[in-house]
Amino acid sequence: MGYLEDLALLEKYGIKTARSLRVKSNKDWDKVIEELGFPFVAKIEAKEPIHKTELGGVRVVENEMDLEDFLRNVEKIKNKVRISGVIVQEMLNGVEVFIGGKRDPQFGPVVLFGLGGIFVEIMEDVSIRLAPLSKKDAEQMIKEIKGYPILAGARGRKPVKMSDLVSALIGVSRLMMEHEEIKEIDINPLFANEKYVKAADVRVIR
Amino acid sequence: MQDLDYFFNPKSVAVIGASKHPHKIGHVILWNFLRSYKGRIYPINPSVDEIMGLKTYKTILDVPGKVDLAVIAIPAKFVPPVLEECGKKGVKSVIIVSGGFSEIGRSDLEGEVKRIGKKYKMRIIGPNCIGVFDAFSQVDTLFMPRYRLERPRNGRISFVSQSGAVGSAILDWAAAKGFGFSKFISYGNAVDVDEVDLLRYLEKDKTTRVIGMYIEGTRRGRELYETLRRITKKKPVIAIKGGRTESGSRAASSHTGALAGSAKVWEAMLKQSGVIVAGDIRQMFNYARVLAEQPLPKGRRVGVITNGGGFGVIASDAIEKHGLELANLEKKTIAKIRKHVPEYAVVKNPVDLVGDADAQRYEVALDALMDDPNVDIILVLILFQTAGVQSEIIDVVANKSDLKKKPIIAFSAGGEFTTLHMRMLEKVGVPVFDSLEEAADAIEKMYLYSLYVGNAE
Repeated sequence: MGYLEDLALLEKYGIKTARSLRVKSNKDWDKVIEELGFPFVAKIEAKEPIHKTELGGVRVVENEMDLEDFLRNVEKIKNKVRISGVIVQEMLNGVEVFIGGKRDPQFGPVVLFGLGGIFVEIMEDVSIRLAPLSKKDAEQMIKEIKGYPILAGARGRKPVKMSDLVSALIGVSRLMMEHEEIKEIDINPLFANEKYVKAADVRVIR
Repeated sequence: MQDLDYFFNPKSVAVIGASKHPHKIGHVILWNFLRSYKGRIYPINPSVDEIMGLKTYKTILDVPGKVDLAVIAIPAKFVPPVLEECGKKGVKSVIIVSGGFSEIGRSDLEGEVKRIGKKYKMRIIGPNCIGVFDAFSQVDTLFMPRYRLERPRNGRISFVSQSGAVGSAILDWAAAKGFGFSKFISYGNAVDVDEVDLLRYLEKDKTTRVIGMYIEGTRRGRELYETLRRITKKKPVIAIKGGRTESGSRAASSHTGALAGSAKVWEAMLKQSGVIVAGDIRQMFNYARVLAEQPLPKGRRVGVITNGGGFGVIASDAIEKHGLELANLEKKTIAKIRKHVPEYAVVKNPVDLVGDADAQRYEVALDALMDDPNVDIILVLILFQTAGVQSEIIDVVANKSDLKKKPIIAFSAGGEFTTLHMRMLEKVGVPVFDSLEEAADAIEKMYLYSLYVGNAE
């Protein structure tokens, strides 16, 4: 299954996602620019799990020059790994968070939550609950992480839209309960701000 | 009657492998039963006629009456045929203390045990365990002699342990400190009865108010979770989780995989099911005894009484650190106490009864705080080093605690004289701590549990 299809799966479970288009050929770019407008995010799509960012396969495209640069890089990447296409997405902003799902051999489906970037990788500031999640479980997961003040509006920032965050967590919980073929899911990052919580990237391991 | 009840309240017990030799396990077990158990006892041993004055039978099939519980303490390879005989005899429950099964790779023998148990619908605890101790019925299959391992007084804490060693240390420790127990179960390899069965039994057990558990792993994760979640709404469960290091048994294929290792998922499961997690045995008891002996607080405002100013200050710091509040005493409360203390005593919270305080002064202060609607919990500090404090203070505190109006927690610290009085307090049901930090930690857990069950706001 492709990347857009995985994003569509999230939508089905009430998790909003960044508006995304697949660029099939270079002829499509004019239409993309017209539809999304600068800036947007362009990223490579691959069947196998690869580190898109490390390969230089993710790029914020602010103008035509950026786009040309990105496409040149795509040609180079093609020499190293097999990629299946290019995806463009609307530009999102806000606090980066992640939501994950996995199956524990002893306890079955679990849901994880944390802030994106170094918070999850270095601080391991993550909360975990067994699915299915109640609304209260989801709320506790959000409040439990050390980075919670960042979401609650530290330093004069507006607090992020908690209700969307809660329903995204419950959505992943439901998805894990209903799709037994999914071993792991990694939504990273989601962008959370005062208006929305939207997923920008997802990896589903079946 | 619950189906596991024959383990705890059998009318008759057979000890298979009973022995005349004092260092044999079968000897110690028989002796323990003989000492305090009130039901009928049948020693089983093919080569002797009499042990400790009791008629001894060659096999369980030779026993004239019914046998509710059989305790098997013979080498592993002899267990299956003997178990078969238990089945024929119509024994309801069997505790196999013998080791030498799956833990040393003899899964075949364990499979036999399982099969025979199923065939005769016998419930089995073990093998490779120390079995059951019930402080009320005095069923006692622990093969540690009483002079080495004291048995605790009866009380309201029950403990389920995957490890026999951890379990026996807990009992000995509890006995020495004066903590009360209801039931103790070490379930070893769990060929039949496992932690889920035992938790479900204790859920309904009337003499169990608090459940403690030591657990390393489970074969019924989801059921364990559902069971714990249900029980904690009725009784507090405190768990010590052994094996906190990440097993990393599954190759992590993504962020999510790497972040949710087994120890972290366990931690999450316990939290989500409302279980109170303790880091070690001491902490487990700190939480268990306040929850077992005292009523749940309606809030988090603590009233402190002391006969030493400095400890009042330490108590205040600890209370704040643990998310509790120092209560604002009512004017009426202050006036009541004022009349009974010297002029130089400072009457606010903490209430300092000063160095020459006696039991009467404590009584006045306890009464006043009991009646003060601003106080949810009373922490009473008693320093036995001062001349004014006599042993009668134990009665005073115990009488107030017996009213079960508000939780009363005590603190004391010192040498032999103090230790003696701390034990006395503990035995009359007043949890006493020798660390204010630990006292505040236990009060915090008590308050959080009260919140969890909707008793506090």
